[in-house]
Amino acid sequence: MRELTYLEAVREAMSQEMRENDDVFILGEDIGVYGGAFGVTRGMIEEFGPERVRNTPISESGIAGAAVGSALTGMRPILELQFSDFITIALDQIVNQAAKLRYMYGGKGKVPMVLRTPSGSGTGAAAQHSQSLEAWVAHIPGLKVVQPSTAYDVKGLLKAAIDDDNPVIFYEHKLLYKTKSEVPVESYSIPLGQADIKREGTDVTIVATAIMVHRALEAAEELEKDGISAEVIDPRTLVPLDEETIVKSVSKTGRAVVVHEAVKRGGYGGEIASMIAESEAFDYMDAPIRRLGGVAAPIPYNPELEKSAVPQVPDIIQAVKDTLNRA
Amino acid sequence: MAKEVFMPKLSSTMEVGTLLQWFKEEGESVEIGEPLFEIMTDKINIEVESYEEGTLLKKYYQLDDEIPVNTVIAYIGEESEAVPKDPPVGNDQEGSMEERESSSTTEATETESNVKESQSNKVRATPSARRVARENEISLHSIQGSGPKGRIQEQDVAEMVSQTETKLSTPLAEKIAKDKGINLHNVQGTGSRNKITKADVIGHDTASSDEPERIQLKGLRKAVAAKMLESARSIPHVTLTTDVDMTKAMEMRQALLPIIEEQTGYRLSYTEIIMKTTAHVLGSHPYVNASLIENEIILNKSVHLGLAVAVENGLIVPSIQHAEAKGLAELTVMSKTLGKKARNNQLTPEEMSGSTFTISNLGMYAIDGFTPIINPPETAILGVGRIVRKPVAIDNAMEIRPMMVLSLSFDHRAIDGAPAAAFLTELKECLESPYGLLV
Repeated sequence: MRELTYLEAVREAMSQEMRENDDVFILGEDIGVYGGAFGVTRGMIEEFGPERVRNTPISESGIAGAAVGSALTGMRPILELQFSDFITIALDQIVNQAAKLRYMYGGKGKVPMVLRTPSGSGTGAAAQHSQSLEAWVAHIPGLKVVQPSTAYDVKGLLKAAIDDDNPVIFYEHKLLYKTKSEVPVESYSIPLGQADIKREGTDVTIVATAIMVHRALEAAEELEKDGISAEVIDPRTLVPLDEETIVKSVSKTGRAVVVHEAVKRGGYGGEIASMIAESEAFDYMDAPIRRLGGVAAPIPYNPELEKSAVPQVPDIIQAVKDTLNRA
Repeated sequence: MAKEVFMPKLSSTMEVGTLLQWFKEEGESVEIGEPLFEIMTDKINIEVESYEEGTLLKKYYQLDDEIPVNTVIAYIGEESEAVPKDPPVGNDQEGSMEERESSSTTEATETESNVKESQSNKVRATPSARRVARENEISLHSIQGSGPKGRIQEQDVAEMVSQTETKLSTPLAEKIAKDKGINLHNVQGTGSRNKITKADVIGHDTASSDEPERIQLKGLRKAVAAKMLESARSIPHVTLTTDVDMTKAMEMRQALLPIIEEQTGYRLSYTEIIMKTTAHVLGSHPYVNASLIENEIILNKSVHLGLAVAVENGLIVPSIQHAEAKGLAELTVMSKTLGKKARNNQLTPEEMSGSTFTISNLGMYAIDGFTPIINPPETAILGVGRIVRKPVAIDNAMEIRPMMVLSLSFDHRAIDGAPAAAFLTELKECLESPYGLLV
């Protein structure tokens, strides 16, 4: 099968959907001729024209408001925010409008929109362009939250997000845009709320999201040399969360390490850890659940400090060994 | 109102009891007089019966716990009655009642020190370890944790389970293992369903013959060890020996043997003749029949004779009260039955305490004299050797006589050499002309 980059897979998912469905259109800052901040939409204006690939003013609030409004009229907008940090400007539209309207209108209106936005650190973009704020939106009932980690996943999940009748916050990780995996040519959908076991193991379960999936897999390979068999689970969507897959895995291994890039304090890892502790997996736990997350500090500009602010492969290896009393 | 069950104080020297087993589970009903639990004191295993009837509400201690006497170890009462989560501390009954009130009604406002205390009693174990223990009905208290801060991991419980799992074995394999002192848990079975066969046991025996066997010092062995060490360390022992011509004692035994056997069904042995004679002679040597307790020498009026009995794993000293007032027939019955009870671990505390002088008989072995260790608070002990025919000079002629060595160890703090020598001399004379006992 042919390989695509994560970035190309996002573009292909949108393009294929726009060819099929006239209601789907994209909007955002500089997504036209320039191709978007990371080049995801490059070439799309040439195919679909400026009516369906709409450049917007620099106003995240305006972009989000336009998306909510058009979705209510029956369109299926995909809006792009250049950096997920800027979601702060759009939050009133997202939290108070998009998330609420379907409920408040008793289902008579709906907001089928996708908010695509790149998140995460590692590009030297400093404190205002490197955050991972997914826990904020995951807290809001009415929003679905997706964090794909591979090119294959991002294509299928984006198709599912576009098809969903609820507002979906779709986080793309900046460092993953250039990663490659095998991606089918035809359109396909990965249901929201279905975790993926990225690697099977027996001694410990690592639940990792986005870029951390790859670091966890790398850690698992290192751990295997020490005779430790780690299972890596990628939830893929935070809301809805595939609790069953995680609980089943932890019941099998008896140990869990939850790792994300977002600041550990108040991060979604706390939600996952609590869910495990409340589940029937509790009686199978043979060590305290470990959480790994970013330090509670703004992401530094200095590249070395930037790395040390978020979990790296050795941190995951260490945490796993701690839970196994093998440190 | 729930009633406390206390660790009984069964003898004047008992300070702690070790819990060996519970006969009842929490929630089971208990009748007065029903065995409730079994304990081991410094020298005895005993079943303790219930003084109350009702439901066993709470057990505070686990097997092998050492518990101070008069400590509340359980509650018996009406079903669903509230009892404290933690055992009341202290021996004062009044105090323990108050404690119960406070801990049951004001749980939420427990003082910090209470909280600390209850935490320290808790077992540190992972949920998974607890689940496996629960499924296999294993007490976590009996498991050593390998995790951080001694946390019990699932693996620790699993190992305990595999150790305690009953293995299948053939009766012959069991007998051989018992004879050779092999623990069947360590033997790998090769028969059907991993049954341990005779060949497995023999194979295991030769395979592991180089490995020294390690035995934990515990139970009776530990009690004996402590008592012997204390005696040897704190008592200045002096041992005197003398040869006794047993010709007449043998004649007397031959004469009395059928009579006593017919009367009691037991065979008279030299032990009883020596006991009878010793008790008789002690009557006129009260300073040898003395106890030294703290700074007091107590001259005992009656002779309560302790008889050292070798049992599996140790040594027990049952005592025959008022031996001086008992005839040979009665002594024979008592020493035989007490010896049997000792070996079967059935002695009561009364039968084991209060001896004023001990006799240790090694006459069944090729032993002449030895240096017995005093059984405190007694101040002397008599060691009895074998009877062996030896040439002795009688009135300028050599004769072969049945001779026996007596070894008397005495506590030089309480007794001096001369009175001890006088006692041993009189004992020798008395055994050499035993008809004096009739006078």
